[in-house]
Amino acid sequence: MTLAIILVVAAALALIFILGVAVSRSLQVTAGSGLAEQIQPIDVEAFRNLVDPAEDEYLRRRLPAAEFRLVQRERLRATALYVQAAGRNAAVLVRMGQAALTAGNPDTAEAARRLVDNALLLRRNATFALLRIYFALAWPNSGWAAAPILRGYEQLNGSAMLLGRLQNPAAPVRISAML
Amino acid sequence: MLQAHSLLWHYLWVAPNLFLLLLGLLLWRRGLNQRYPVFFAFAILGATEQLVVYATDVVPSVTPGTWWLIFWTGLLVEGLLKFALVGEIFARIFDPYPSVAKVGKFMIRGVGVVLVLAAGLAAACTPKDGLFGIVSGAHILEQTIYLIEAGLLAFIFVVSSYFRLTLDRPLFGVALGLSISACVHLATWAVMANGGLPEKRHLLDLLNMATYHACVLIWFYYLLIPSKVAATPAVPLPENNLEVWNRELERLVQP
Repeated sequence: MTLAIILVVAAALALIFILGVAVSRSLQVTAGSGLAEQIQPIDVEAFRNLVDPAEDEYLRRRLPAAEFRLVQRERLRATALYVQAAGRNAAVLVRMGQAALTAGNPDTAEAARRLVDNALLLRRNATFALLRIYFALAWPNSGWAAAPILRGYEQLNGSAMLLGRLQNPAAPVRISAML
Repeated sequence: MLQAHSLLWHYLWVAPNLFLLLLGLLLWRRGLNQRYPVFFAFAILGATEQLVVYATDVVPSVTPGTWWLIFWTGLLVEGLLKFALVGEIFARIFDPYPSVAKVGKFMIRGVGVVLVLAAGLAAACTPKDGLFGIVSGAHILEQTIYLIEAGLLAFIFVVSSYFRLTLDRPLFGVALGLSISACVHLATWAVMANGGLPEKRHLLDLLNMATYHACVLIWFYYLLIPSKVAATPAVPLPENNLEVWNRELERLVQP
């Protein structure tokens, strides 16, 4: 019977989660406006500085090993905050794009689909980048951790710049409406 | 009332399948069968299969051994249809977006393998009845199918929720109904397969049938009743906003 109890609990948890998603979906449909206000501005230059390997190397040379690890962890935490913000912004853009997908104009629908695709790419990259950052947080001295973060950043860069340009919260509303 | 072969029992077995057949016919009349081909096949074949199993249950000339063989065949057909339907749901959510389609397929295959292994392990740990192996085997097969199905559907909901991908209304209804059915059936078949509540099995059967009935009504609601479209006020737009947006998107694709 232990197995039955485990499976019943698993089924109940899955059902609660799925019903929760269903409820939140209906709430999202009713409260779809004001999405643009949820977009957080991102300082791309600061982000670029945080993930610059030359900065890492400079700090590594200048600081004692223990202090470097401390500083590096702080920098990685700050990087994680930026990436999290980019991921959240991407999620908002997905919702904005999906809201415009049902537009009658095929060109508009295609533009909305591309917006959603790119925002999904950003969210996916943000997730992978965060995993790498957390790995690097655990081993701040590991050289290999920095390069993948930078590569992830390179992929993120275009998206982050786009989000940086969305600092004016009114702009996405206009774009969404136009889509 | 809550006994096997009561009026309620007959109703709960027959009515949802007749409704599902009707839903299939309505989908066909509205041309939605081409949009949701696997669900259409599931509605027609799944309902027909259940009605055949019901008919053979109530016809006295069918021996128990023959009935269980028919039940097994129906179960396998239904299982294949459900997995195909899960595949259709997944493809319709992720295929339009290449940025997540590939990683999504990779992940769902991985989750599928893990679920098959977990279901196999659960089946191996489930007690078998040496005397009525065909019966306990059917229970284990039900548990196995629903464990994999519920796991895959939960995964789809988790991933689509993480990426904030909203399913279109009919597809959401199909996924919701299928998920509720899978979760409840997993729980009840797990109890039955593991010898739980031997005196209350008819109640578990009725719970399964009532849940399935509710799910068929959910499918009716989401597939046939259009959503209310909220009117969005027109916003005055500055020029070239869309061009700026598209130019930035190009930079995303080719950074």
